[in-house]
Amino acid sequence: MSSLLIIVNWLLPLLYLVLLVDYGATFFLRTKAQIRNPWLAPVLCVHAFFLVLRSIHFGQPPLGNVYEIFSVLALSTGAVYAVVEFVGRDRRSGIFVFLLVFLFQYTSSSFLGASSTQSTGWARLHVVPALVAYTAFAIAAIYGLLHILAQRNLKQHHFGMLFDRLPPLDLLGRMTWYALFSGFVFITITIVTGPLLFSHQATDVPDAKLTAKIVVGSIAWLIYVVAVLGKLLGKWPSRRISSIAVTGFVVIMILLIVSGILS
Amino acid sequence: MEISVIGINHRSAPVDVRERFALPSDLAKKLLRTIRAEKIFSEALVLDTCNRTEVYLVSKAKQDSLRHLLGHITQLKQASPVTDTSLFYHHQGLDMVRHLFRVAGTLDSQMVGEHQILGQLKNAYRLALDAGTARFLLNKLLHWAFRVGKRVQTQTQLGRGSVSIATSAVELAGQVFSKLSGKTVLLAGAGETAELAAQALLRCGVSELIVANRTLSRAERLAEDFLQNRRAKNLKAKTVCPASLDEQNKVCPVLAGQKAEDGSSTGSEQPLRARAIGLDAIPSVIGGVDLLICSTGSTEPLLTYQNVAGFLRHENHPLLIIDISVPRNVEARLGELPNVFLYNIDDLDLLVARNLERRREEIPRAEAIIDDEVEQFGKWLDSLQVAPTIKLLQRRFAQLQEAQISRYGRKFASSDQKELEEFSRGLCSKMLHKPVAFLRELATDSANSEGLAAVDTIRRMFDLDSLEEQK
Repeated sequence: MSSLLIIVNWLLPLLYLVLLVDYGATFFLRTKAQIRNPWLAPVLCVHAFFLVLRSIHFGQPPLGNVYEIFSVLALSTGAVYAVVEFVGRDRRSGIFVFLLVFLFQYTSSSFLGASSTQSTGWARLHVVPALVAYTAFAIAAIYGLLHILAQRNLKQHHFGMLFDRLPPLDLLGRMTWYALFSGFVFITITIVTGPLLFSHQATDVPDAKLTAKIVVGSIAWLIYVVAVLGKLLGKWPSRRISSIAVTGFVVIMILLIVSGILS
Repeated sequence: MEISVIGINHRSAPVDVRERFALPSDLAKKLLRTIRAEKIFSEALVLDTCNRTEVYLVSKAKQDSLRHLLGHITQLKQASPVTDTSLFYHHQGLDMVRHLFRVAGTLDSQMVGEHQILGQLKNAYRLALDAGTARFLLNKLLHWAFRVGKRVQTQTQLGRGSVSIATSAVELAGQVFSKLSGKTVLLAGAGETAELAAQALLRCGVSELIVANRTLSRAERLAEDFLQNRRAKNLKAKTVCPASLDEQNKVCPVLAGQKAEDGSSTGSEQPLRARAIGLDAIPSVIGGVDLLICSTGSTEPLLTYQNVAGFLRHENHPLLIIDISVPRNVEARLGELPNVFLYNIDDLDLLVARNLERRREEIPRAEAIIDDEVEQFGKWLDSLQVAPTIKLLQRRFAQLQEAQISRYGRKFASSDQKELEEFSRGLCSKMLHKPVAFLRELATDSANSEGLAAVDTIRRMFDLDSLEEQK
């Protein structure tokens, strides 16, 4: 099994690179913009298969070290994007997302073999919805930024490079909303399941780090609940949701970095 | 065998000359029938568009086709004889092939990248087929040209982006809305460009049209016209072949995307609601409008911030305003509202200019495709010569003979080997005798279309092209 793991480990960045080139062709050559990418689902399945195999091989979920987490992040980013592409039927933004996915997986594949896996236990599965949530927030921030750029281009009559390479404005708004909402659902799951899973079990995470995680998670939840309620109850415009998606993600990043330094 | 084209187009002659030689389909049919009857040309096709009249000819030998053809045309049109033939072009051989491929690839069009020419070329081909003047060579050439047109269309960006004010409205709409079905268009005024823009949007599946005019009866008439147009298109969409529906959808980038996705959606299938209102009623309906095209003769702004801003407060409802009237009918301040995207005639001109520039940048890529295809066609044309075909046929049989001897030779005694070889050689030459005699007979009349078709069939039957490649 270990040779199969090594092969797939190196196959994955290549597959993501192919997807990145394909999305790049769509963006630069303005072709096949409104056709769902047929290769996306198979590549994500290969990636999921790899992580399942790795879990079976090491007897624990693939969240033992930072490089495994990078790989899970790559998969979850790709999966959230796949849902967005499926719903929005537009692949013009794929280049931005898959640049990130490729970098995650390339970094993971480069160091995964050399790194030893720490013992974590199945309780750390709780990390999965958190990763999906932060991935969704990252994607919401990307779409939010594209939405703001597209809106600005259209308002200022700027027919530059991005003009007809981005998806339509209303679609970007919808994509931002879908990603933000799914992130909100997953961060809620994380916040609810965290105490349940760890209440009867000691964790290997230091107290300061745990507190920082709880604080960041809660602040993220508070930021996005405002957007969700605003959209559902106050019918906020996409422009405002996009601004929250971008600023929310920036705030989370700053908090994560600061908490990492402090703890 | 001589292939040639004689024609006149927007580059070679001014419109007053071109219109004298225009050949609408009834006259084109007559011309083709005349050509067929006199048997000087074995094949012919007439292509007549607003910018060109061209006759593609296949003849048995070189001749003064130009004067001959002009004689026919002036007779058909009962015009005075042509004295100045310098306005016409006459391309022969591969130059003619290149010209046709450039026409199909839209490089010879007045508006480079406008792919309607492919549809016009298909109509011309159909006309020639009906008249019985498109046979082996023109069949092959025209199908090749259609393929070249498609290749240029798909492998270059030549047809991308709107290059007219009317279609740029659709392009802008495509940047704001992911689909136009279910959207409402308000057409204020009745300028020609605005009407064209509205028609282009309707082709993309807009479901409601409101026509506003100072005179209500004029607005009602226009709304009714749009409804009738849509009904006629729906009827046509149900009866015409899917290919022509494709052509129709190509004008709409938004719709084209939807079609590519689900394979079924077409603009003309959407039901359309159309109604008329007076200009003063615009503020009361503008809240529900997605797209406003403004083109009235009014000298004062029709839509001011003061009279409509109150109706446009809902930020979740974007409104695209295209004001193509001069002086402008929409106060610029309205564009400051976050959900309003206001474009005037200068903005659209800018978009068109940028798209034209992009198309110009794509021309070298399209030319390269055409060079490649002309070369391929030239090779195919050369392959139709009789003598090399006979040689290849003989080689094919010799190969078969050798293969069979090496396979079964071991089953015979060494003393019988010579007889086996003689037997197989004799059998092959007997089998080849009639086909070779037939081909040699063709060589005496190589200009015959049936002869060329026969050579082509024989080459394909025995896969002689692959043998030539091995060589």
